[in-house]
Amino acid sequence: MKRIITSLALTVLLTLTNVHGQKLSSAKVNGSSPSTQALKLTLPNKEGSVRFVVIGDTGTGSNQQHELAEVLTHYRQIFPFEFVLMMGDNMYGSEKTVDYKAKFEDVYRPLLDQKVKFYAALGNHDDSNQRFYQYFNMEGQEYYKFKKGNVSFYSLNSNYMDKRQVDWLNEKLTADTSEWKIAYFHHPPYSSGGAHGSDTKLREIVEPIFLKNGVNVVFAGHEHFYERIKPQKGIYYFISGSGGKLRKGDVRRDSPLMDKAYDSDLSFMLLEIAGDQMYFQVISRGGDTVDSGVISRSTTKRD
Amino acid sequence: MKLCLVAMLAAFTSLTALAQGQNKQIANAFEKRVKDYVKLREDIEAKMPKLSTEAKAEEIETHKKEFQDAVRAARANAKHGDIFTPEAAAMIRAIIKDEFKGKDRVELRKTVLVESEVKALPLRVNYPYPEAKEQLEMPPTLLLKLPQLPKQIRYRFVGRNMLLVDRENGLIIDYMTNAIP
Repeated sequence: MKRIITSLALTVLLTLTNVHGQKLSSAKVNGSSPSTQALKLTLPNKEGSVRFVVIGDTGTGSNQQHELAEVLTHYRQIFPFEFVLMMGDNMYGSEKTVDYKAKFEDVYRPLLDQKVKFYAALGNHDDSNQRFYQYFNMEGQEYYKFKKGNVSFYSLNSNYMDKRQVDWLNEKLTADTSEWKIAYFHHPPYSSGGAHGSDTKLREIVEPIFLKNGVNVVFAGHEHFYERIKPQKGIYYFISGSGGKLRKGDVRRDSPLMDKAYDSDLSFMLLEIAGDQMYFQVISRGGDTVDSGVISRSTTKRD
Repeated sequence: MKLCLVAMLAAFTSLTALAQGQNKQIANAFEKRVKDYVKLREDIEAKMPKLSTEAKAEEIETHKKEFQDAVRAARANAKHGDIFTPEAAAMIRAIIKDEFKGKDRVELRKTVLVESEVKALPLRVNYPYPEAKEQLEMPPTLLLKLPQLPKQIRYRFVGRNMLLVDRENGLIIDYMTNAIP
């Protein structure tokens, strides 16, 4: 049964400490110090689950991006996620060596040092050569798949969804017997954004493939806010595009697509897949939980 | 009267078939010119150190610059219209016009001409597409109708113009004007 439980009974309150039980160093976030702030975890943190992060539109190198990354790093102390999905626009502006450093490596250094892997998708501000970058784990491909436990992840290049990529996606999905199939890419097929909105031309191509092959969840960026879309034809769509940029107040509140949105500050998503459940929690730059819930996997194919 | 209608229909059908045949020839010739470019750039890239799939940022930057320089030198005489010949450009304009009608056309024009950050980019063949600039998403439904390109080459809109860009070295291989109606 597909359902969303937006307020989980399981809420774990933990004071921020490191693995040795010591308080972590102080960092200012929105005027408050996360080291003294109680971090709230709504995810079950089950043994053997697939734990990851979704973050998009990060690559500014701004103070705000750094501050959000600090919150993310702190959360890893209580939710040891293994990897991060990047929704594209990994690098705004130039892409020289110094930019890779300033807009990515410096920002996420603590996570890189902890061997957290980043799996990037390309956005409209990203050079194709990012696919060779050591920390983006794209294996030289603009679109690729990888598997973690019972979950297949498909990273697509929505900038250029040509026949070659469509055929690849069809072929890989058809042969995929994973329990969970998750696709992620930059442009959102559904969106309540005022500036961009739904990418209907992309949707026309990818949605039938997702439906035919039982894709459960789709993540996108591009819109500089967070949005959870009402399930569309049985598929759950999320937008997480405020990892470094924010388009404040851009969500159309009267949108019939929107289930929940947050466009007041930067944010990222924490996710955990355990069996037939995918739990999610969305955290703002100030460390607040702005959305959370659980999705149950549908076991039937849809047309 | 009936005979007259049948004759008109037959004439229309044969004209359509003729136009389709001509378009096929134009598309084939266009694809041949694209392949010639790809062969040239592949020969150049084959002589360069291969970029690892776990490359450092400086290796990516160096590789791109060296690749650009080598291809630019090899195509020093390349000029606007070498690949997008007038016939090829006319065929592509017709495909785009057919794909984007009514509301779709309004949306495309809004995206490309109003919202895009790159609507006024100066275009020069055999020069790099500015790295810091946005690469506008190509509508997937259009990509399925345009002549398919080898994986090394991309169509890209800049304002009403359509470009052919090398995805690795970022060079503008050619461009056509007034692609969007």
